[in-house]
Amino acid sequence: MVDFVWNVRSPLQQAVMPGRAGAIVPFAGVKLAEIRDFDLVQIFARRGQREATAKAVKKHYGVDAPAPRQAVSAKGATLIWSGPDQLMALSARKPGTFRPVDALRESFEGIASLSDQSDGRCLIRMSGLQARAMLAKLTSVDLHDSVFPVGTAATTSIDHTAVNLWRSENSEDGSPVFNVLVFSSFADSIWHTIVDAAAEYGIEIETRSAASV
Amino acid sequence: MRIACPFCGERENGEFTYLGDAKPKRPFVAVIEDGKGAEGEQDAFYEYVYLRDNVAGEMSEYWYHGGGCRSWLVVKRNTLTHEILSVAAAPGTGAAVVDVAMAKAGTE
Amino acid sequence: MASQQANRLAAGGLIDRTTPLRFSFDGKTMTGYAGDTLASALVANGVKLVGRSFKYHRPRGILTAGSEEPNALVELRSGARREPNTRATTIELYDGLDALSQNRWPSLGFDVMAVNSLLSPIFVAGFYYKTFMWPAKFWEKIYEPAIRRAAGLGRPSGVADPDHYDKAWAHCDVLIVGSGPAGLAAALAAGRAGARVILAEEDSLVGGRLNSDGGEIDTIPAAEWADAALGELRSMRNVRVMTRTAVFGVYDGGTYGALERVNDHVPVPPKHQVRQRLWRIVAKRCILAAGATERPIVFPGNDTPGVMMASAVRTYIERFAAVPGKRLTLFTNNDDGWRTVESALQAGVEIAAVIDARKDVPARCKALAEDDGFALYSGNVTGVRGGKAGISHVDIGLANGRRTTVSADTLAMSGGWNPSVGLASHHRGRPKWQAEIAAFVPDGCPPGMTVAGAANGELSLGACLRSGHEAGASAAADCGHAGAKHTAPAATDESVAIAPLWHVEGKQKAFVDFQHDVTASDVALAQREGFESVEHLKRYTTLGMATDQGKTSNVTGLAIMAQLTGRSIPQTGTTIYRPPQVPVAIGAFAGHHRDENFHATRLTPSHHWAAERGAVFVDTGLWKRAQWYPQPGENDWLESVSREVLAVRNGVGFCDVSTLGKIDVMGKDAGVFLDRVYLNAFSSLGVGKARYGLMLREDGIVMDDGTTSRLAEDHYYLTTTTAKAGPVMQHLEFCRQVLWPELDVQITSCTDQWATFSIAGPKTRDLLREIVDPAEDLSNEGFPFMGVREVQLRGGMVARLFRISFSGEMAFEISVPARYGDALARNLMIAGKPFGVTPYGTEALGVMRIEKGHVAGPELNGTTTAADLGLGKMMSKKKDFVGRVMAGREALVAQDRQVVVGIKPLDKTRRLRSGAHIIPRGTMVGPETDQGYVTSVCYSPIVGQWIGLGLVERGRERIGEIVRAHDPLRDEDYEVEICNPCFYDPEGGRQRG
Repeated sequence: MVDFVWNVRSPLQQAVMPGRAGAIVPFAGVKLAEIRDFDLVQIFARRGQREATAKAVKKHYGVDAPAPRQAVSAKGATLIWSGPDQLMALSARKPGTFRPVDALRESFEGIASLSDQSDGRCLIRMSGLQARAMLAKLTSVDLHDSVFPVGTAATTSIDHTAVNLWRSENSEDGSPVFNVLVFSSFADSIWHTIVDAAAEYGIEIETRSAASV
Repeated sequence: MRIACPFCGERENGEFTYLGDAKPKRPFVAVIEDGKGAEGEQDAFYEYVYLRDNVAGEMSEYWYHGGGCRSWLVVKRNTLTHEILSVAAAPGTGAAVVDVAMAKAGTE
Repeated sequence: MASQQANRLAAGGLIDRTTPLRFSFDGKTMTGYAGDTLASALVANGVKLVGRSFKYHRPRGILTAGSEEPNALVELRSGARREPNTRATTIELYDGLDALSQNRWPSLGFDVMAVNSLLSPIFVAGFYYKTFMWPAKFWEKIYEPAIRRAAGLGRPSGVADPDHYDKAWAHCDVLIVGSGPAGLAAALAAGRAGARVILAEEDSLVGGRLNSDGGEIDTIPAAEWADAALGELRSMRNVRVMTRTAVFGVYDGGTYGALERVNDHVPVPPKHQVRQRLWRIVAKRCILAAGATERPIVFPGNDTPGVMMASAVRTYIERFAAVPGKRLTLFTNNDDGWRTVESALQAGVEIAAVIDARKDVPARCKALAEDDGFALYSGNVTGVRGGKAGISHVDIGLANGRRTTVSADTLAMSGGWNPSVGLASHHRGRPKWQAEIAAFVPDGCPPGMTVAGAANGELSLGACLRSGHEAGASAAADCGHAGAKHTAPAATDESVAIAPLWHVEGKQKAFVDFQHDVTASDVALAQREGFESVEHLKRYTTLGMATDQGKTSNVTGLAIMAQLTGRSIPQTGTTIYRPPQVPVAIGAFAGHHRDENFHATRLTPSHHWAAERGAVFVDTGLWKRAQWYPQPGENDWLESVSREVLAVRNGVGFCDVSTLGKIDVMGKDAGVFLDRVYLNAFSSLGVGKARYGLMLREDGIVMDDGTTSRLAEDHYYLTTTTAKAGPVMQHLEFCRQVLWPELDVQITSCTDQWATFSIAGPKTRDLLREIVDPAEDLSNEGFPFMGVREVQLRGGMVARLFRISFSGEMAFEISVPARYGDALARNLMIAGKPFGVTPYGTEALGVMRIEKGHVAGPELNGTTTAADLGLGKMMSKKKDFVGRVMAGREALVAQDRQVVVGIKPLDKTRRLRSGAHIIPRGTMVGPETDQGYVTSVCYSPIVGQWIGLGLVERGRERIGEIVRAHDPLRDEDYEVEICNPCFYDPEGGRQRG
């Protein structure tokens, strides 16, 4: 009997090629990164448990649950509003765990439903001085500073496919940083759409582990 | 067209799916005996499933924000001018408690 | 040899004389300068004849200098990039530009179809309707192709466009359409107030008429002022100036469509760049400052090359330093036309005469004629002599009844200005008549839009600036940006007095719509034949229906109709405008979504593994699925698929079924909720069990099926068919949020979370024992049919195992987190190697489900009830569920419904085809004998022949009956037997064993 090896394969493994792509320019206008190795749990307050869920979030993560259209950083996790009385908890993957909901079960027992989406989504981070110009081709959401400041989250669509989009702290060069969770089965296709949209600005591509961001 | 989702804010119509008239309410079924409910339920359901007013003017419609937060919305819209007068969330969108009495009230 | 630009002025103009550009028109090489349009370069090179007209093939020259141009349409570029019907007046010149005139054969100078002009009495309005009405079947095959060859415009390239297009969104407080004096003033006011502003200008240059009309603003020359304004706007972070961007449509909710011609001004777009970009601009407020369009006067011969709009003559002289001719005449009914005389005089062009149609010509004009020594006639132009080489003489009918003739090579005409009201009427706003300027102005706009400047009938420079400024400040204030008060830029209000003149009678043809060859006599004919309404006039004569959408002709046409019917223009009314305001290429609407990007695609977790094995993929919805895995030596798909089927039936195989929709249904009331959406019960399902479920629509028809498992008291895991995953999710959300909001239930899709494989065949357990931890009991007792639980896999993996079967074999479905799907496929190959494991695709999956008589998409086709599918007994009688009541309708429970049966040809060698109709033997084929049809077919290697499922009237009572399969598409008719739909192991021992 052989022992089996369980290699992880990202849905973007084939599509993402680290390095430069698109127009040849001195400074890439768009930086794309696939963030790997994360746990993602969708948390839905049960009927009548809105306040209890908010309290449990505060207790578990040490921060207030995100208000509508907000993403908040907690210790070891980012909490992203994803609809009425629901949120996504994103954290770096703990090695050797198969069921990230297990770690949350106690805190949310009877007050919120939990669904593991760690493999249901791919996470793509977009930054650079032209990130906004590129995103204007992908999403109808207004990403202007006055409307979509750091910490704003949206559930919207790219290529007619639902995504979660949020803005995190600006990068060192002062350019905005946008994160998008896309359905895994669509990831390869949407990645190509993103690369097409970004090509004219020059692209720098990398992959990163969630633990390093 | 743009619809102001009560949860997400104003979004383009590509994120939404149209269902139709929000006026008809599913008849409330209290008891079932041998696969049958109250007397006359077939007429009531026939009306619910098929009979629609073709309103030239203000009308309430169901729209689904499937390209966003997956909420069902009741949109009051003028079918002549396309003006949207109000957008409300369906009662069960979030976690708020909705009692059965209210669900029954919807049948009248 | 390049020509000498004989008509180019020595100095002036907004062109860059240091950058000469070579271009070719109809094969002749010429030179222009950067800053030229193709039209201005042709003018500079003395080219008069640029095309032939649509119907009569009359020689035509350039009429205008803007996007309203009806005549100068060319085929731009060659090969795959050839673009027909491109307006020479909007094409920016680039080095190497290559254009051909249109609608002429064999050459522009000698065109055989010009004979149409001699036959013109038969080509009158309504000609097509009258001549080609009968016989109707001739239309498609004979009349239309012939007409298209004879008439018609340019030729498309006939091959795929090699360039890229994309679409983007933009958002602002204030969108300003047009960057003339009103638009610039509005942008400055709104921008200074702090509003987010987008200024869209279709031209490559901002300024609009400021670039052509001279004048002073705030005491500096207008063009300099425009430059300074642009500089200030560009310095504001809240203002975005978009040149080469035409706003073409107003849509609901403050959404505007605009086309940016990103790289139309270069021969080939740079790598990674698009040719054009379609913008959807979302604006809280919009200021329409699109200016006005000068209209022609309909006089005999007004389409002769050399007759040009007066404002266009001015634009060619002032902006492009190109003079359309050496001896100019002007025919005007208003003061503005006279500005062309002033321009021409300054440029050193000789004025042959001015014909002013007004009774009282202003003294200022008379003085000008006197000072500069040219003739001023009070009267009308009654004819034009000349031809394709241009005009030679202008015939004049004087107010005193006498006639005279002057020699001239150019005739500038001005019939007044039509405000560009198009966008204002995109929401059915009907313009109103304003007598002082003899033109229509907007009367009510789409929500959020205001109109400023000439577009609003405020034609003088001072008025444009004031109204633009006010509109800009007020729109910004509406968006919460009050800002400090600024004063409006100031300029004098020049006179724009006009005395309306629409039509001068005469023998020669007088054109109303130049592009569609509609003449004044066509309008008269329409009136005589009763087509007096403007809507009828338009359709009957095709007035205003060409690619220019009647920008130079609509108002004139209806004014002539008003005269003919003795009604006023307001009584006659006007047609209104629809998007697009300017032509937009289909490619721009498609944007990125063409070819392989037509829609997003979904890949399964084992996609790349399957690709490595040479799988053939099939599109199922958005998914790409492995259809079969060809092996060396196999000649066709049937061989591969039959091998895969037999491998499963005799050994073991696996198939990626991750595409099935998967939904987590959670909460205290999850069971009750599922009771209401499925026709069978789920609250009674034990934890660790799966059950097949059937869902109806509220009208009683089957919506979808699948297995649902109970993973915990408050957690069900529901699966849908691949095709219905989205619609079922939407339906469940509707049930949860709208129908039964009192239930505590939460649902979310987890389709992409899990990689799921179906492992099937008698050796399934052998394979699983290799990979599943030996401590797990997989026996019938330890893991019964329809059991579900989590198991440990060897090597440190946790999987969900479901004992369910679609193939009729002993089978399990195994799920791991999707990131391990690729590894699972590889490990199943290793674990199954001793048992000859065979990966199989959707085709083998389909064969096995047909052999078992399982229904799928072709049977769940939106017309069938549970009973039709043979599943009527599943319907619970103890609870309410969606579709329960309507499923009991008389017609849905009728005895003669078409129900699912098996079908097999009597001739075992015959291929059964889906779609074939079921007809009783010995009857005529017809609707009355049609008893159903074949829904699904396959070649069954187990049965050894083609078999199928069908929907057949009273089918279950007719097992064993011989009927005919009639296939009119393939012209086949053969005998088949109605049989039990389950062709394989009807007792079900194999899947339970």
